[in-house]
Amino acid sequence: MSGFAYHEPATWSAAQDLLRAEPDAMVLAGGTAFTLLLRQGLIRPTTVISLRRVSGADGILADSHGGLWIGAMVTHTAVVRSPIVRASWPEFADAAARVATLRVRNQATIGGSVAHADPASDVPVMLAALDAQVIVRKPNAAPRVPIDEVLVDTFTTSLAPGELIESVQIAGRGPNTRAAYLKFTLRSVDDYATVSVAARAEVVDGTVRAPRIFLGAVGARPMRARSVEAALADGARSRDFADAAALVRSDVDPITDVRGSAEYKREMARVFTERALRALVS
Amino acid sequence: MSEQVIHFTVNGARQERRVATHRRLIDVLRDDLGLTGTKEGCSVGVCGACSVLVDGEVISSCLLPATYADGTSITTVEGLASDGELTPLQDAFITEGGFQCGICTPGQLITASALLAAHPRPSDEQIDEWMMSNLCRCTGYHGIRRAIHKAAAV
Amino acid sequence: MKLSHRASVAAPAERVWAVVMNVPTAAKCMPGVAAVDPLGPDRFKGSLLVQIGPVRLVLDGEVVIVSRDDAARKASLKAEAKDTRLGGTVRATIDVALSEGPSGCEMRIDGDVQIAGRIGEFGQPVIQRKSEQLLAQFAQCLGRTAAA
Repeated sequence: MSGFAYHEPATWSAAQDLLRAEPDAMVLAGGTAFTLLLRQGLIRPTTVISLRRVSGADGILADSHGGLWIGAMVTHTAVVRSPIVRASWPEFADAAARVATLRVRNQATIGGSVAHADPASDVPVMLAALDAQVIVRKPNAAPRVPIDEVLVDTFTTSLAPGELIESVQIAGRGPNTRAAYLKFTLRSVDDYATVSVAARAEVVDGTVRAPRIFLGAVGARPMRARSVEAALADGARSRDFADAAALVRSDVDPITDVRGSAEYKREMARVFTERALRALVS
Repeated sequence: MSEQVIHFTVNGARQERRVATHRRLIDVLRDDLGLTGTKEGCSVGVCGACSVLVDGEVISSCLLPATYADGTSITTVEGLASDGELTPLQDAFITEGGFQCGICTPGQLITASALLAAHPRPSDEQIDEWMMSNLCRCTGYHGIRRAIHKAAAV
Repeated sequence: MKLSHRASVAAPAERVWAVVMNVPTAAKCMPGVAAVDPLGPDRFKGSLLVQIGPVRLVLDGEVVIVSRDDAARKASLKAEAKDTRLGGTVRATIDVALSEGPSGCEMRIDGDVQIAGRIGEFGQPVIQRKSEQLLAQFAQCLGRTAAA
């Protein structure tokens, strides 16, 4: 293993200038995934740009409608502890708290988690259910892109070379909005999910409307449970949940691995989708 | 160009080091500074043996790029005691059977120190939540829990 | 690691077979193939670039047609490649079989892939998903080429 050229730009535009000059450079956020890939010998960067000193990248802000703006360099721990996040979307803080270990949460960032696009990771799946928008810094623009358009494939985002994730935004919730994140781990609490379910819906008197449901670790990206959503579209109650959840089997594409067979994961997807629906109305 | 000068504090002492950019904090602590109390258990951030405090937060030193130490204040297990006086936590680990082989112990002490700083009188649940990712193959964890309760009572 | 792909191709089996067994032409259907050069009658060397997120593999190696049955439209190939950047080897045996189908022909590709070295660190699920993706794209392209 050998060293690489290393930069810590102080602003987003300095970071973009560096990327323009070195299009092959790797961008570093918290550094957890990067260190693992480097040690495994899977990457051989010649230039690394760290965002750790970018001014304002680690802020958490709320707007007047309870919407959240979370800078790319915000750590998972900062989300878990943030009274601003807890006031608007405590379920998102709960999802961030399920990631790996205390130490990883202290170091790994929200932006890094989205950029890394590991389909088994927790934060991207929850952000998808909350319909989060990603602010992408392009050379001459900073558009908002829905997160499920950013997360395209295993370890692959829609970002073109030279583009950076600046922040994620979650719109404020309505008075009847409920959300839940369920993570099924087999071997230990700090493991990757075998299956995870993130759900958001409007709930009035035990009736679920406008559900948005995504599953993690059962496909190349967070998988949208469209069949389940369709079955619940006209307002569903608890007695409908079992049948609706069973439809998730066709919405997921799991792979057999150490955490279980594809068939087992499909079945667990059904079980945990039903549990997530019950969590929304409880 | 593949080296970086970093400035940081370790156990209260200021350091200035030139480090190859691919190295991790644990490499600098153990190999450059001779602080071998921090152990490399799994190398992937899971076991907690390499835990250190960086600006008061528990970090896996096997996952932190050395360059990220720049501007920080780091505490390793060697920095817990002062002037040879063990902390109440370290004493409690001895009296309550908080270790056997000792390989996980530096990490346990670091995390438990951070826990007690955040929650001076932690409940069993808080202890389990904080300590759960410092793996111990010897003790079965009860001695660790007892030690933390004892240190909290001091 | 076992891989398998079934596809229906809207072209006669005879045409699809001709495309498949023309290795340099068929190779162009594999995403990331750089160059394919013949080394002998049923032996070819080539380069395959695969990207999974931040990881780039450059696989340099050989493909050999081990057996072929033009009448039954079945063939067995062996591929072996080394990753020059990271260090690792991929070995695969691939069986291709075509049969008449309702709207053209049915293509079956079955592979057994062995991965050694650095590439294996990536983890079987990721490699499997990527391999299946590549295989699906390959089969689709073969079909389009034959139908054209």
